[in-house]
Amino acid sequence: MTYFIPSLKDILKEKGELGDENLDFKNTSINFEEPEFEYKESIIRKILLKLVNGFVSFTIILLLWYGIAQWVIHTRNVPFPTPKQTFSRLFALLKGENLYGETIYDHVTASLIRWGIGFALAALFGILLGIALGSSKILYDTTMPTVYVIQLIPGLAWIPIALLIFGLGNTSTIFMIFATAFAPIVINTCGGIRSVPPVYVRAAKMMGAGKITVFFRVMLPASALSVVNGLRIGLANGWRVLIAAEMIVGVGQGLGFSIIQSRWSLDFESAFVCIVIICIIGLLIEKLLFEIIENKVVERIGLTEGK
Amino acid sequence: MFVEIDNVSKVFIDKKLGRGIVALRNIGLKVKRNEFLCIIGPSGCGKTTLLNMIAGFENPTKGKIFLNGEEIKSPSNDKGVIFQEFSLFPWMSALENIKFGLNLQGWPKKEQENIAKKYLTLVGLEGFEHSKSHELSGGMKQKVAIARTLALDPELLLMDEPFASLDEQTRQDLDIELLNIWKEDIKTVIFVTHNIEEAILLADRIIVLTARPGEIYKELKVELQRPRNLFSEEVVTLRKRLRKDITICCNNGHKFGD
Repeated sequence: MTYFIPSLKDILKEKGELGDENLDFKNTSINFEEPEFEYKESIIRKILLKLVNGFVSFTIILLLWYGIAQWVIHTRNVPFPTPKQTFSRLFALLKGENLYGETIYDHVTASLIRWGIGFALAALFGILLGIALGSSKILYDTTMPTVYVIQLIPGLAWIPIALLIFGLGNTSTIFMIFATAFAPIVINTCGGIRSVPPVYVRAAKMMGAGKITVFFRVMLPASALSVVNGLRIGLANGWRVLIAAEMIVGVGQGLGFSIIQSRWSLDFESAFVCIVIICIIGLLIEKLLFEIIENKVVERIGLTEGK
Repeated sequence: MFVEIDNVSKVFIDKKLGRGIVALRNIGLKVKRNEFLCIIGPSGCGKTTLLNMIAGFENPTKGKIFLNGEEIKSPSNDKGVIFQEFSLFPWMSALENIKFGLNLQGWPKKEQENIAKKYLTLVGLEGFEHSKSHELSGGMKQKVAIARTLALDPELLLMDEPFASLDEQTRQDLDIELLNIWKEDIKTVIFVTHNIEEAILLADRIIVLTARPGEIYKELKVELQRPRNLFSEEVVTLRKRLRKDITICCNNGHKFGD
């Protein structure tokens, strides 16, 4: 393909920047081949690649697990559950076999409900407090240190506090989930509000926006991504502490409860089944729920680059 | 007088140093209706601060600023501002960005749509109605910002180095386009820049500020026919003069008045 390059003289003449002086520029043209280039990215290919990747990492986990199981069984002579035993127990439980007086579905549901309630409360109050702290400098200066301190408390350290306030039972577990999910939600929401570029607020005011309009139509959308990130961390924190809390705070149902029970009944296969289920639920929430929400938010608030 | 800046000073408190820093000192300035005024000065001379005070984002430490005889205390949509930073809301399309202010002015939905489209066309961005900020180039973003502000039909247009972050070629094109738009819909413009050529190309009058603390060093009328040719004799003379002024006030600015 040949491209015609106008001479510098023509350009200058056109812009009226060349006087009478007659400089001699020669017209130039260059030749170059359009490179052969084809790039296709099909969705099927993408999904396949993801599946293959997932399969490989799954296989690696199984092999490691199997190796450790064999090693423990031979050296320590204890019944460490192998992947095969675990999965056959999993299928048996999924068929409705009894596990400490309940089906596995009841245990999962019980855990999910606690998690849901604790997280929902943390999200509600966390976002509200985060917004308040992000909007007021006095509140921020006085309250934020406390929130940071709360964040530093490891999940399990809440157990005595939970027991003292709520006693044994469901409420204590929910409180612990709330306590661990709360701080990251506050911190991220507040950070999001505080890092909204001032020029957005000024632009809105210049166009006649009052405080309420600025808040709902500028501050909130501009900090949405931070809020989602806070929720994500809060959700993961809550899930982790939930399992631990169920082991100790004295509830009769749930995945954590089942794990700790299996220790007394030496039913380690069931414990492993619970761990597998915990992993699967965590993965589903992270990959399906949060990735989708995050992508939606990113797209909605216009941060996607390219494409 | 349309805009009256009455002996305005601005002092910032520097918390680290624990003392006030004088950004602007005794600025007295009057702007006529429909005048195109450029404020030029070295960076850090407080020209953006001055513009922010006219816009109502900040208040003077001393002195008052009047628009149409009324003191300016807060931002409002009769003072349109075009910012140096990209200020479009990235979660809205170009059209929605323009409609944001129109909605606040209480236009009916259909009118909003029509006005927004009209101004998008005015800045030459037909067909980009639904593009979001990240899909537009720097120059296009500033054009949408101009459309967004003009659509509100403000009495006064404040421009804070609106093209400074763009490349030279785009800046020149946008300067020319701005003049064309201004010719069609004449408004009072206060345009802050550090670019001498830009000031000569655009302004009816140029105010030169000294380095910090910013004071008015010189005032210069540009009475040349638009569009101005940057290579014509008058413009070249003017450029040289201004360059000299700025070099002097930049190097010795802080000595003036001290």
